[in-house]
Amino acid sequence: MILKMSWRNIWRSPLRSLVVMGAITIGTWAIIFLMSFSFGMVKSYVNNAIRMETSHIQIHTPAFKEDREVGNLLPEAESKLATIKSSAEVEAATVRTILNAMLVAPKGTRGVIARGIDENEEIKVTEIDQQIVEGSYFGKGKNQVLMGKSLAEKLGLKIRKKVVLQFQNLDGEITAGAFRIVGLIDSGNKMRDDGSVFVRRGDLNRLIGSEKAGHEIAIFLKDAEQIQAKTAALKTDYSNDLIESYTEISPDIKLYETQIGTSFAVFVGIFMLALIFGIINTMLMAVLERTRELGMLMSVGMNKGRVFGMIVLETLMLGLVAAITGMILGWITIQYFSGSGIDLSSFSAGLKQFGMSTIIYPALDGAYYLQLTISIIITTLLASLYPAYKAIKLRPVEAVRKI
Amino acid sequence: MKVIEAKGIEKIYNPNKIPVHALKGVDLEIEQGEFTAIVGPSGSGKTTLLNIIGGLDRPSEGSIEVGGKDISALSDNQLIDFRKDNIGFVFQAYNLIPVLTAKENIEFVMLLQNRSEAERNQRTNELLKAVGLEDKIDKRPSELSGGQQQRVAVARALASKPTFVLADEPTANLDSESTSNLLDIMAKLNQEENMTFVFSTHDQRVIDRAHRIVTLVDGKIDTDVRR
Repeated sequence: MILKMSWRNIWRSPLRSLVVMGAITIGTWAIIFLMSFSFGMVKSYVNNAIRMETSHIQIHTPAFKEDREVGNLLPEAESKLATIKSSAEVEAATVRTILNAMLVAPKGTRGVIARGIDENEEIKVTEIDQQIVEGSYFGKGKNQVLMGKSLAEKLGLKIRKKVVLQFQNLDGEITAGAFRIVGLIDSGNKMRDDGSVFVRRGDLNRLIGSEKAGHEIAIFLKDAEQIQAKTAALKTDYSNDLIESYTEISPDIKLYETQIGTSFAVFVGIFMLALIFGIINTMLMAVLERTRELGMLMSVGMNKGRVFGMIVLETLMLGLVAAITGMILGWITIQYFSGSGIDLSSFSAGLKQFGMSTIIYPALDGAYYLQLTISIIITTLLASLYPAYKAIKLRPVEAVRKI
Repeated sequence: MKVIEAKGIEKIYNPNKIPVHALKGVDLEIEQGEFTAIVGPSGSGKTTLLNIIGGLDRPSEGSIEVGGKDISALSDNQLIDFRKDNIGFVFQAYNLIPVLTAKENIEFVMLLQNRSEAERNQRTNELLKAVGLEDKIDKRPSELSGGQQQRVAVARALASKPTFVLADEPTANLDSESTSNLLDIMAKLNQEENMTFVFSTHDQRVIDRAHRIVTLVDGKIDTDVRR
């Protein structure tokens, strides 16, 4: 009966209740959508970073991490690669030779990172072939280079043009090679496109003087959930090498991932603060309007605990109905955009600068719906305490006579 | 058998500011089955006395026993429980719960008493029949006339099978026909169920039907007449 009374009491002032419920619904929807959008952006950034830059796990020598010297080679890189590739958790793995180089073009020079890659293995790890917007992936012939489209434009270069890459060889002497541009890349990350070029590892190794040289093994796992376990296992297997997961390689990714949780807490906190005052105001009005009725209820034998409970229940129902409506609307919005994504092409320049895709796919983990629900329940309960306290403080003898 | 026994009841409002002496040593005994009207001019202390008898207010001095139990010593929560099981209230402004139907309003106190559903249904139907509102069972207060609402209020007051019913000016907002109907119902319940009724009233129609008339003047019992 108290449940029934509480529910019906909400609808005694439908307009007032609907205004509060509308505010909670819109607020909940906004938080869910905003957070799913933020998660989508972070996911896009993290996925891009993993696919384009870090992969899931990388192996180097500790010295290479300190100083990208040509001589800091990973010992027995190819035999390690073969062992790693045979592991069940590994989707793909590849060895890279990485050099600090000077790119010399007719219209200028640029400091770049020259990445020597195994053309067939690399595309299983980084999908670099799918980022080519002009020209093609490596074909027949030696000394071919893929470079960022933006870098090529800055240096006035086109497909088929030649550039010279200058770097130090293993003997510590400066060496150089002429490379023909076969493909231009647009990875979506302008900083990366401007700072790296890709050549065949064999071509680079020949120039530095070691066919088997490699500085880095990049590993892509079948299941991202296995990253921590696999990293730990590799650390045991190759204790002399530096084994790092993507969050260790790029702390900014970890920061993004943790920051989003903090952002969620801040958004929810601000929303709950606004919510608490809105609910207190509404419920206080509801209590003061019903002074005589509450006095009558206590006169006929409804004890203070039950009166308190009725007001709390009323507030809780008001908040929860609105919050659940907001969540359903938020979920529907996410479902709608999760297929086609939200096209932010008009901001593509800025997004690419930060390594994000121009289409964002909103997504929100189920745990956040639960967190939001718990937050709303707690807030609503807190907001109900003062009006409920006011209700039980009424003296029946005075309240029943109140006009 | 004494249902109510008030001894030396005094009530002073605002004792520390401007004291108002509402009751000045009232002694009153009411027997089971009496149909008593407490009358008097405005400010004579009728409502104060009713509130004290009903456990809604406490006397400044004196004691009040209901069914042999001293209620002036009970805590607030004990008083609420006591009222639930022993006293039926009928208010001047009906004070039904607007969001509940006639049936639910009558059932309400029985739910607070944790009575079984079967018992609640049986008692509610009996009472609705007794007040002549069987056809209004699912109507909310806003769909009932003033007289009908007050009849529901009487049924609600009786639902808990109280020791007595207190009615504070129950006919003040009713027309003649509704007043007559209501008094007929209460008189019938008084006779058939030996229910004790105590009214405060200005209404001559109520006074004419009462078996005992207690007149208060300036916070004291002036006359106490049984008919």
